[in-house]
Amino acid sequence: MSTPSEQEPAGRLAARGLTLGYEADRPVVDDLDLDIPDGRVTVIVGPNACGKSTTLRALGRLLKPRSGTVLLDGAELHTLSTRRIAQSLGLLPQTPVAPEAITVADLVSRGRQPHQRWWQQWSPADEAAVVEAMERTDVAALADRPVDALSGGQRQRVWIAMALAQRTDLLLLDEPTTYLDIAHQVEVLDLVRQLATPTEEAPARTVVTVLHDLNQAARYADHLVAMKDGRIAARGHPEEVVTAELVDEVFGLAAVVIPDPVTGSPLVVPRAPVPVPGGPR
Amino acid sequence: MTATLGGPRAATTGRAGARPTGYRVLRLPGGASFLLHGRALLAATVLALVLAAGCVASLSFGESTVPPQEAVRSVLGLTDEHDFVIGVLRLPRLTVALLVGAALAVAGALIQTVARNPLASPDIIGVSQGAAAVAVIAMTYGLASTAALPYWAIAGGLAAAGLVYLFAWRGGLHAARFVLVGIGFAVALRSVTQLFLTKGDHTVAQQATVWMTGSFHGRGYAEAEPLAWALLAVLPAVCWAARAQRTVTLDDDTATALGTRLNATRLGLASVGVLLAALATGTAGPVDFVALLSPQIARRLTGTAQIPLATTALVGASLTVLADLLARTLFSPTELPAGVVTAAIGAPYLLWLILKNRTGGRT
Repeated sequence: MSTPSEQEPAGRLAARGLTLGYEADRPVVDDLDLDIPDGRVTVIVGPNACGKSTTLRALGRLLKPRSGTVLLDGAELHTLSTRRIAQSLGLLPQTPVAPEAITVADLVSRGRQPHQRWWQQWSPADEAAVVEAMERTDVAALADRPVDALSGGQRQRVWIAMALAQRTDLLLLDEPTTYLDIAHQVEVLDLVRQLATPTEEAPARTVVTVLHDLNQAARYADHLVAMKDGRIAARGHPEEVVTAELVDEVFGLAAVVIPDPVTGSPLVVPRAPVPVPGGPR
Repeated sequence: MTATLGGPRAATTGRAGARPTGYRVLRLPGGASFLLHGRALLAATVLALVLAAGCVASLSFGESTVPPQEAVRSVLGLTDEHDFVIGVLRLPRLTVALLVGAALAVAGALIQTVARNPLASPDIIGVSQGAAAVAVIAMTYGLASTAALPYWAIAGGLAAAGLVYLFAWRGGLHAARFVLVGIGFAVALRSVTQLFLTKGDHTVAQQATVWMTGSFHGRGYAEAEPLAWALLAVLPAVCWAARAQRTVTLDDDTATALGTRLNATRLGLASVGVLLAALATGTAGPVDFVALLSPQIARRLTGTAQIPLATTALVGASLTVLADLLARTLFSPTELPAGVVTAAIGAPYLLWLILKNRTGGRT
């Protein structure tokens, strides 16, 4: 076991010497230091079982570290009450489950729970936050529909609306694009980008998300964290991080990296190991 | 005091669906605000009327009939003509039936919430069986006078639930483990009861069997008063539970993300449920199906995402009051166990609601 690094956190959320695992002798994440830049989109990528979702769960206090600590505003996460954390940090798990027959507005309104008391169940602030969250995710028209009856893309937007209604500066999203078709994936990621863009009403939010698709990560991230075997292999701006060498090192994939024709961000194109029908010979 | 009741749409923004669908906001001076479900309020009002009618009928009918208006006058103390029939025989028994029904129904709602399963109830996770086993053991060894029997049974129900927690707890109270361990204990405790009934003497067996059928026969103020106080003491916890339901009905991660201390909350909900079930079962014996059926009937009446506790309590109370009335009068002078009648009324009604709504697998 190593001692956590004493370096001051650069942002509101950071990890120091974080060791995570489900069994004592087999850490999934080993002695990880991570600084989440404020007001930016941080995307964690890596091959399956590299510990990226596990790390996100620990940042959101869903998983207790075996050693090391997560710092929120300089305080160790496990010393804060879960309600206090919920007032600063929102989190959307990979496969959230809604009670059957719940309506969209009812589900979104539950994002206000950490700000409510039993004698204060619906303040004007609650109402404003729910309205804003539903408008921003474009689900206001679905307000009275049962969540069960929605399409996958609509449902994901509703869940994000619930997390937004929580009105936290920090937002953790665990693979928010899973189970969505490509158009809905782009829609969700565009929304994520917007959240980290300051508006007149609200400053930029800090978003941390786990994504499977390296190209989407390169396109939408301000700060990219590539993980392999429970450690950070590289971190930084996508243009510095996403190189053919890194893709080979982290994913074991031979690829060429070219500029994305639309955004100019790095685009990973795997080399075909065998001739592809109709492809170049 | 002035209070304003907002309409179903947000008046301030003019937008549709800003607040949870179907809820109204009650604002009180000083910043307090409460979410009230419109259809749940309506259902509660109708059920309260049904319950009131059932209560008056229960006081009127029996071996001798007292006209309804006379029965009401007697309860209000405006006449002392029926002091024995109403005041001594029927009113205390009615009170016990009403309180037991409400307590069992809310217990069922809380245990179904924690178990995430509409089939869970205190008689499935061993509370009723624990109460029965300890009651029978106490009778067999002559430890329990009739007056002390409820206390033994309550202790038995709580002890059984304690063991279920202990064995089901693994870093938290997980829904499936809780139910499975409960079923295991229920079966084991039922065989303990059978063992003592078989080897015990006949009078004990007979006395125990009467208690175990779940009946309000012979229950009076001696039972009604402590039960009423106990339920009053549990009431704040039930109000807390109604609030906690809003997050624990989501998945574990989301509930935690919304600031819920999941293990403590689940344990709290289950404990309130167990306490209510033990109090009710100790007083009247295991009245079957009220805990199982009432929450599901209430949920279908209101259409809310979580089980509405006040409506559930009213369904439970109405069920037991009507069941006891029928149990007493249907084959008079022979009395049926109230549990048989609650099942006979409740089950077809629930089936009818499910068929009428056609909402698929809604729980």
